[in-house]
Amino acid sequence: MFAPLEITYDFSLEISLLIGFLIGIGFGFFLERGGFGNSRKLALQFYFRDLTVFKVMFTAIVTAMTGMIFFNAFGWLDLDSIYINPTYLWPGIVGGLIMGAGFVIGGY
Amino acid sequence: MAAKRYSSPYLAGVGLGLVLLASFFITGHGLGASGSMMSAVVAVEKVFLPEHVNKNEYLAKYGGGDKNPLKDWYVFELVGVLVGGLISGALAGRVKKETNHGPQITKRRRWVFAVIGGALFGFGARLARGCTSGVALSGGAVLSLGAWITMMSIFAGAYALAFVFRKLWI
Repeated sequence: MFAPLEITYDFSLEISLLIGFLIGIGFGFFLERGGFGNSRKLALQFYFRDLTVFKVMFTAIVTAMTGMIFFNAFGWLDLDSIYINPTYLWPGIVGGLIMGAGFVIGGY
Repeated sequence: MAAKRYSSPYLAGVGLGLVLLASFFITGHGLGASGSMMSAVVAVEKVFLPEHVNKNEYLAKYGGGDKNPLKDWYVFELVGVLVGGLISGALAGRVKKETNHGPQITKRRRWVFAVIGGALFGFGARLARGCTSGVALSGGAVLSLGAWITMMSIFAGAYALAFVFRKLWI
């Protein structure tokens, strides 16, 4: 298992930040491609008129998930080193509901 | 040049998923957005109240002691997001100044609500330890239970209030 690469090869801060910048470019590129630059398009999901958010988000989740399972099966990626968001039930629920309110009011 | 149509959401989803996969493969963690805003806030706070940043455990994590809050992976990633979005928009002829809103409200009203909604979203994201990118998308891909609960709560909150705020959008 040689991945996550950053942990195996102990990147310097500068390299790590550069990687962050490059990954960010990919992130922004595909968000814009999918139409996430348009707040009305995003908000229309709440009126069942445009389900782009669901399609993009769940396709992305399944793609990344499948990739990680394969990389682990190939013996490349150590899943124990992957960050898994800890569960804090009530803050997660209340924070989520507030974000949802903000999403439909603000559009993003 | 006329603006091109958006990509198929499934194609954009696969692209986004591969970027997310690359992030996990290279760094061991996923993508994020709201955390960088937190870093920016701490950077400003540090200029005026450095002692407070050091004393508060949560703020110190972002920029306590010698740590520069802006020399952070997620901050650099977010700058990349702006650049990547601009590249995609420019290639498709979509770069222009506009205010997206429904036909029943004014531009000004949309801006007021954008600030209110943004503030709520930011507050909620701190409570839930992340936003749609860091929790729903990245946490969703690693099947974190808390991430899925937060994701469902985001949709629940938005759908519950959609009728009240329908004039903003439709």
